[in-house]
Amino acid sequence: MIQSSFTERNLQLLFPLPAIVFVAMLMVFPVLYTSYLSFTNWNLTSGAEPTFVGLRSYARVLSEPRFLHALARTFAFTLFAVVIEGFLGVAAALILNRAFAGKSVAKLLLLLPLVATPIAVGIVFNLFFDPTIGLANFVLQAFGLPPGLWISSENSVIPSLILVDVWQWTPMITLIVLAGLAGLSEEPVEAARIDGASEWQILRLVTIPMVMPVILTALILRLIDALKTFDIIFAMTGGGPGYASETLNIMGFKYSFEYFRMGQSAVILVVLFVVVFGCSLGIMKLRASSEV
Amino acid sequence: MRKLVRKTLVALSSLCIAAGALAQAPAKEIRVLLANHPYGDLLKAAIPEFEGATGIKVNAESLQEGQLTTKLTTEFATNSSSVDVFMTRPLQEGKMFYKNGWYEPLAAYDFSDYPKNVMSVATFGARTYIVPLVTEWQVLYYRKDLLAGAGLKIPASFDELEAAAKKLNSDSVAGFASRGKGAAAVTQLSSYVYNYGGLYLDKGVAVFDSKPAVDAIRFYGKMLGNYGPKGVTSMSWENIMPLFQAGKVALWTDASVFYGQIIDPAKTQVSVDKVGIANFPAGPKTNSPFIVTSWGMAVAKQSKKKDLALKFIDWATSKQLAAKGMQANITMARSSVWEDKAILARINPGLVETRAFAAKNGYPLDRPYMSAVGEARDLIGELVIDSINTKGVSPNLEKMAKERVEKVNELLQDTGEYGK
Amino acid sequence: MNRKIVSSALFYLAVAAIVLVVLFPFLWMLASSFKTQVDIISWPPKIFFSPTLQNYRKVFGEQDFLKYFLNSTIVGASAVGLSLVLGLPAAYSIARFRQRKLAVFILLARLMPGISFLMPWYIVFSRLDLMDSYTALILSHILIALPIVVWIMSTYFSTIPPEMEESAMVDGATRQYAFWAIILPLSGPGIITATTLSFIFSWNNFMFSQVLSMEKTKTLPIAVYNFLSYAEVDWGGVMAAAVAIMAPAIVLTMIFQKYVVKGLTMGAVKG
Repeated sequence: MIQSSFTERNLQLLFPLPAIVFVAMLMVFPVLYTSYLSFTNWNLTSGAEPTFVGLRSYARVLSEPRFLHALARTFAFTLFAVVIEGFLGVAAALILNRAFAGKSVAKLLLLLPLVATPIAVGIVFNLFFDPTIGLANFVLQAFGLPPGLWISSENSVIPSLILVDVWQWTPMITLIVLAGLAGLSEEPVEAARIDGASEWQILRLVTIPMVMPVILTALILRLIDALKTFDIIFAMTGGGPGYASETLNIMGFKYSFEYFRMGQSAVILVVLFVVVFGCSLGIMKLRASSEV
Repeated sequence: MRKLVRKTLVALSSLCIAAGALAQAPAKEIRVLLANHPYGDLLKAAIPEFEGATGIKVNAESLQEGQLTTKLTTEFATNSSSVDVFMTRPLQEGKMFYKNGWYEPLAAYDFSDYPKNVMSVATFGARTYIVPLVTEWQVLYYRKDLLAGAGLKIPASFDELEAAAKKLNSDSVAGFASRGKGAAAVTQLSSYVYNYGGLYLDKGVAVFDSKPAVDAIRFYGKMLGNYGPKGVTSMSWENIMPLFQAGKVALWTDASVFYGQIIDPAKTQVSVDKVGIANFPAGPKTNSPFIVTSWGMAVAKQSKKKDLALKFIDWATSKQLAAKGMQANITMARSSVWEDKAILARINPGLVETRAFAAKNGYPLDRPYMSAVGEARDLIGELVIDSINTKGVSPNLEKMAKERVEKVNELLQDTGEYGK
Repeated sequence: MNRKIVSSALFYLAVAAIVLVVLFPFLWMLASSFKTQVDIISWPPKIFFSPTLQNYRKVFGEQDFLKYFLNSTIVGASAVGLSLVLGLPAAYSIARFRQRKLAVFILLARLMPGISFLMPWYIVFSRLDLMDSYTALILSHILIALPIVVWIMSTYFSTIPPEMEESAMVDGATRQYAFWAIILPLSGPGIITATTLSFIFSWNNFMFSQVLSMEKTKTLPIAVYNFLSYAEVDWGGVMAAAVAIMAPAIVLTMIFQKYVVKGLTMGAVKG
């Protein structure tokens, strides 16, 4: 009896404790270890143990043009992908937001890209974009357009990858916004209609502002995931041609598991971590203050 | 709190003891790491014979080549390895493994059956550490029907290669193909560099900014930029081969291993009698295409059962198995199998001839031979891509080459290989 | 009247366009998986071809895909099961005691880039000789599943009125008993949502398995990626492998459609 009352008194600690310990062991300690490694020059190929070198690995990586390009590319990829997904996703949700025959089927189909294995999606689009035997150029030519190089050229590789990301993740925005629209009350729309507002005005001035918080949340979720995009880039280009599609995630992976430069790769990982953590934290702060 | 610490320590140390006990496996058992390579598959299938004859139990695992390197490197570097024998790529990881003392010297092995240039990458100082298994060399694949249709003979020099590519290039067929994907292109570019009279590294110093080397990179870029398939800067062999099989490439320089694939009727639209194989064409300076030991086998220095490991390696690299490999279209490193008439009768004469030429004149390296080879390949790959994008006339190439050379030298210094 | 017909035609056209764009890559992948290599590399792309099963025979016959299938299932099921054990009590506690900071802490695992823990795991697991072991793989996949379970279940638990367990506690039951005997039985739909979604995420994960698994514990995404093996590119086989890996996730989605939509949209709509 005494024991059970101990359990009960400390339930709010005991219940989450196993999960906390697990996350600490598998996430917090590794992140700390990575941060420690970023101050060493550890290189597996040299066979030597890690030695502390202060900020030297930082100096070397942060002054590397390849790194700066990867950093800028990560932001560019994320920004373009999320903005396009936002526009298309909201537009599709507004179109689908009425009762019609086959709505549930349409919603089911929208789910499919979200659950499709990204690495397989990347491989399928690889063949799709192949400049010589791929379907993408066939479609272009069918419309009388000149064939493109898609992921085979430095200039078009990032837009092509964004296209794949947009295909896979726009439906998520659509579904979230649809759910948000379903939860809205009809009253303000009815009131506007009685006041003689046009459909476009209702959409612009009533519906969209009401569903805006949901749109923003959807975009935030996408933003954080887009920063970390790995699978489709790894499967489609591995960061190429050259380094033209190398993001921080890909560069960190290469430095760790191909070059075995653990110290320098740790620097890249710390930067990526700070970027994602900073974005998440900033967004949470923003949301918390807007909720008040 | 202190109790907790003590308990944790006890638990940890007992874990270590348990792990130690596990490491002391039964006496007559070895662990072997193989590659997902036709010869690895052949060995795996034959292992029961070895086990039956010797009573040694063999635990064999097969891994993809990249994963194999990664696994061996981490296991050795973190001192946690229980590997006894492994397949190894001498040019990719040989230098690093030797320098870190991960290979066991093979003092008693009889190496008399291996060509000299093949042995040069297996030997460090006075000792030999790797038994060569498989050899690859660079060749020219060509379309007999297209050459004949244009009234051309098989290109034997770079000038003829360029003229033929120009003539055969059309909207539907690329006149010429070779790997253009940065790092992957470095091995195929190497023969061009050699034939212009250049090198990647000379006595541990990067020299690919020399005039001959840069000329070679320009030529490679000119050929691929003008006559290569669309999007060649993202193409390795796995992208070019289907194009060749689809009849969209007239001339293709790459390693000899792909010959079997492109004459396999189940995989190609081009009938076998239209596909030819020839010696790599000569450059302005010489004709010395790469002929490399793509795979070898070695014993781990950390192995606790070296006697068993040596027994296994003797068997796995024996003449009998090499003959079996040849029958499975694997181009083995041993000289004797290339002299055995019974074996040669079953091998395509094109392979025999091009090998004979490369074995006599070839150069035993196809990439910068150093520990940080992956990174060095990426750096040289940047030059290849720039050269292809500008069709060989990039105004920056000399400057870029100079910068990349400095970076490669930095890598050499990092691992203490500079100037050695 | 006419205008209404036109606008409704336009509407269905728009819906058809959306559906077609979403569906097209799937259809094309499916078609290619039944083509021979020669048909795939022929130009212009063939719309009519005689279908072959040879790619599937290759995937399941020669390539041992059943083994990888099993590996993915073992890893996914164990990770999800353990995540429920760890996550359900935590989610309950977060919901009832409003432990917002704790929620954020566990959700960090969902937000952080996986690669920043992967490199240290790789080193530690190598030292412990746990590379290519189910243990290492399952541990890493729990970090994928756990945040999803906590996220979905804490939201779900907070929709159950506290009176449910309070009335039981008035009768002398302990809170943990009430959680076990009253709350969990009411949570079926939430648990189904969390299970389905976290299993799909584990099933689709590439990066962790690519680094931590080798031949023995290789999961399906790695097998599909590795299909481009030495000296051979078999596009038909690759497409068949892609179909094989996507099929289970798609079937699960069809069965649990309602729950999957809820899980994916829940956090955003509820705030």
